[in-house]
Amino acid sequence: MLIRRSWAWVLGGVASTLVACGGGGDAASSAGVPIASALSAQAALGERIFADVSLSASGRQACASCHSPDNAHSPANSLVAQLGGVLLDLQGRRTAPSVNYLSSNTAFHFDAEGAPTGGFFWDGRAASLQDQAGQPFLTSFEMANANAAEVIDKLSRAAYADEFKRVFGADIFSRSDDAMARVTLALAQYQREDTEFRGFSSKYDEFLRGNVRLSDQELRGLAVFNSPGKGNCQACHPSARAADGSFPLFTDFSYDNLGVPRNPALVQNDDPAFYDLGLCGRDDLAARADLCGAFKVPSLRNVAQRHVFFHNGRFNTLKDALTFYVQRDTNPEKWYPLNADGTVQKFDDLPAQFHANVNTTEAPYNRRPGDAPALNDAEVDDLIAFLKTLNDGYRP
Amino acid sequence: MTSHRLRALPAKTILAASLALAASAAFAQTPTEAELARRLDQLAAELAAVKAQLAQMQQERAAPAPAAAPAPTAPASGFGVTAPAASAGTATPAMAAAAPSGPATVLSSYGEITYTRPTKSSVNTQADVARFVLGYQHRFDAKTKVVAELEVEHAVSSADDAGEVEVEQAYVEYQITPTLAVQGGLFLLPMGLLNGNHEPTAYYGVQRNFVETAIIPSTWREGGFQLVGTYDNGLTVQGGITTTFDLSKWDAASTEGKDSPLGSIHQELSLAKAHDLAAFGALNWRGVPGLLLGGSLFSSQATQGQTAEKARITLWEAHARWTPGRWDFQSVYSRGTISNTAVLNTPLVGNPTLIPSSFDGYYVLGAYKVWSHEDYSLTPFARWEHVNTTRSYADLGPGLTPEASGGQRIVTVGANLNITQGVVLKADYQQFRDSPDQNRVNLGLGWNF
Repeated sequence: MLIRRSWAWVLGGVASTLVACGGGGDAASSAGVPIASALSAQAALGERIFADVSLSASGRQACASCHSPDNAHSPANSLVAQLGGVLLDLQGRRTAPSVNYLSSNTAFHFDAEGAPTGGFFWDGRAASLQDQAGQPFLTSFEMANANAAEVIDKLSRAAYADEFKRVFGADIFSRSDDAMARVTLALAQYQREDTEFRGFSSKYDEFLRGNVRLSDQELRGLAVFNSPGKGNCQACHPSARAADGSFPLFTDFSYDNLGVPRNPALVQNDDPAFYDLGLCGRDDLAARADLCGAFKVPSLRNVAQRHVFFHNGRFNTLKDALTFYVQRDTNPEKWYPLNADGTVQKFDDLPAQFHANVNTTEAPYNRRPGDAPALNDAEVDDLIAFLKTLNDGYRP
Repeated sequence: MTSHRLRALPAKTILAASLALAASAAFAQTPTEAELARRLDQLAAELAAVKAQLAQMQQERAAPAPAAAPAPTAPASGFGVTAPAASAGTATPAMAAAAPSGPATVLSSYGEITYTRPTKSSVNTQADVARFVLGYQHRFDAKTKVVAELEVEHAVSSADDAGEVEVEQAYVEYQITPTLAVQGGLFLLPMGLLNGNHEPTAYYGVQRNFVETAIIPSTWREGGFQLVGTYDNGLTVQGGITTTFDLSKWDAASTEGKDSPLGSIHQELSLAKAHDLAAFGALNWRGVPGLLLGGSLFSSQATQGQTAEKARITLWEAHARWTPGRWDFQSVYSRGTISNTAVLNTPLVGNPTLIPSSFDGYYVLGAYKVWSHEDYSLTPFARWEHVNTTRSYADLGPGLTPEASGGQRIVTVGANLNITQGVVLKADYQQFRDSPDQNRVNLGLGWNF
């Protein structure tokens, strides 16, 4: 059940403008203290749509099916990729990411140094929350509607259809494309307004507010997380408050090529010639061979609640995912298939010509077989303990 | 910009000549000469006071009041660097008030071009227009003036270049009484010998010293108000309320905080967070010709309300300069502390640059003018510095507390060659005793008018 109340932040990244306008008071005393407010009419409609399974071809799938409000708006199950389609029997192509903490994300672009940044989905192909919200309705292996008219026809028979007309006009259902734009607008507005999508309510947030201490193990994990020579996690997942006082999102919305092993559990990988190339799999970036294999850096908030990890769901536990990070280059034989001669098929989910794109220069990847991993087993456990402090809904 | 760079260009005034004589006398070596110099100083001050009164009377009688001239200022000492001005960033009240006859607006400029060649890694040799500055002073009337300075660092400032364009000073000064002035706006903090007198002709060596860049973050300016009292006994007293640093922008992932703890979190009055304000005070005494003794204190909370915990930054320093005859001796010690760093650092553990709880540094410098002819002068110097930007850290527990360092010891030997009063050629060698890889040879060209 979704929480209907919403909160307007006094401070933090989502509302730093309030502070700038003098409406926020003392950041130190009020950081993260929510002020209750009702969802707007558009956002309230978005909440209804988000949970409405009748808008799918199968009649059994809604946005919330893959982005469960009970699991930080990520899948509540451990499927490597969610099932969809008319009969709800088609496997998706990538893991469903959480849609939390996306309200400050930008459209895909190349930053001043030419690095790809921003965008929605694993490959950044959607330019906005609204753009992202519309695509699953029409994807054959997701909600599987043939076109916008089908979606709007279903919506016109929903219990909240009259409310939709009241908000967007009595004739809105006669204009399918316009109505579809209102559907995605309402969904985006819902994600912006309902602070369930950006709770900043984890133990770590309380720690940053000075209200709670981290345990020794959690603190060691944080040190490992931040240390450039150890986990070096913060290089892509910033952990410190920004200069404007906003809380960290644990992503810089950049892209990286990790050389994650191929996942045989994905049906699409039954075809040995198939490779999910990430950024350069997009039509508009097909010529950028240097981007092949790069996927978006997700937020690590609530990461400990996930059941599968990475774009292809290759790992099912945080321990495995983190151990892969630090042992990928020291013990590749543990993560990749072996050839008949015993050599390792490293980076086996990428064609050989793109292996050079894989990040091998930064810690913890900058090692060779036989080197000690950047983190030992105990340090990985410390890191996991810290990552668990990023789960929203902390209660002392 | 210091007052001595703002002297009126069209004509030397009687006051300027008097002060020149007084300054020259500062190098007297015998007791008789020293006494003479002291009396000249006194006479100059009295003359300035009389002129101030005269100017005020003339202004009161004139209707409307004519535009007043900028203050003629202390002349160069004839040393490799100019003698310390009356106070950082301000003319003496007497001088300021005694300038109704020159132009109302005076342009000024200084610049420095440097060449730095690391002796052990010549591939990193660099040449740079380190600073190019244009400034003006406009006097509205005998009591009121505005001083502004615009600086370009590293020649080019654009989205793709490292340079900066910055307003370095922009303040209004109002002369309340002949001995008391108030300044409001963006002004230089009167700390140390360099911050208020940072033009290339005002210091020895191609690069500014480390104590007054790493510990005192020259060129350090804040926005606010200050009172400046200058008295006939040689005492200058300054105090005020200003903006301050922003600890919330400490970047633990970069090394900037190790290069200069306060330099990495200064705000330069650029959309500066102003929840926390600072108080400062400075005392300088020039009661004996050729001798300057002073000290200052700056303190404020500095988390700007961005964190639940507060932290106080305190910086103090003591300085001395003595110029007997051809000699010039200088020394500065400065120490900074930051409170509550254990709380601030805990979320940053593991990062390479945590917030130090204390940092300090000192230098001693000796220079001797070995040769002079007309406007030429050659002044070799040697400087010893010990700077520690990570003197201590608050305890975070085993394995998490960074190690305090022993600091850096730097020896600089070189010479300043003045080819005229406002143009200097510099050359020096810097030896980094604790990191020899940084040893370097520097060449520089500077000017100032």
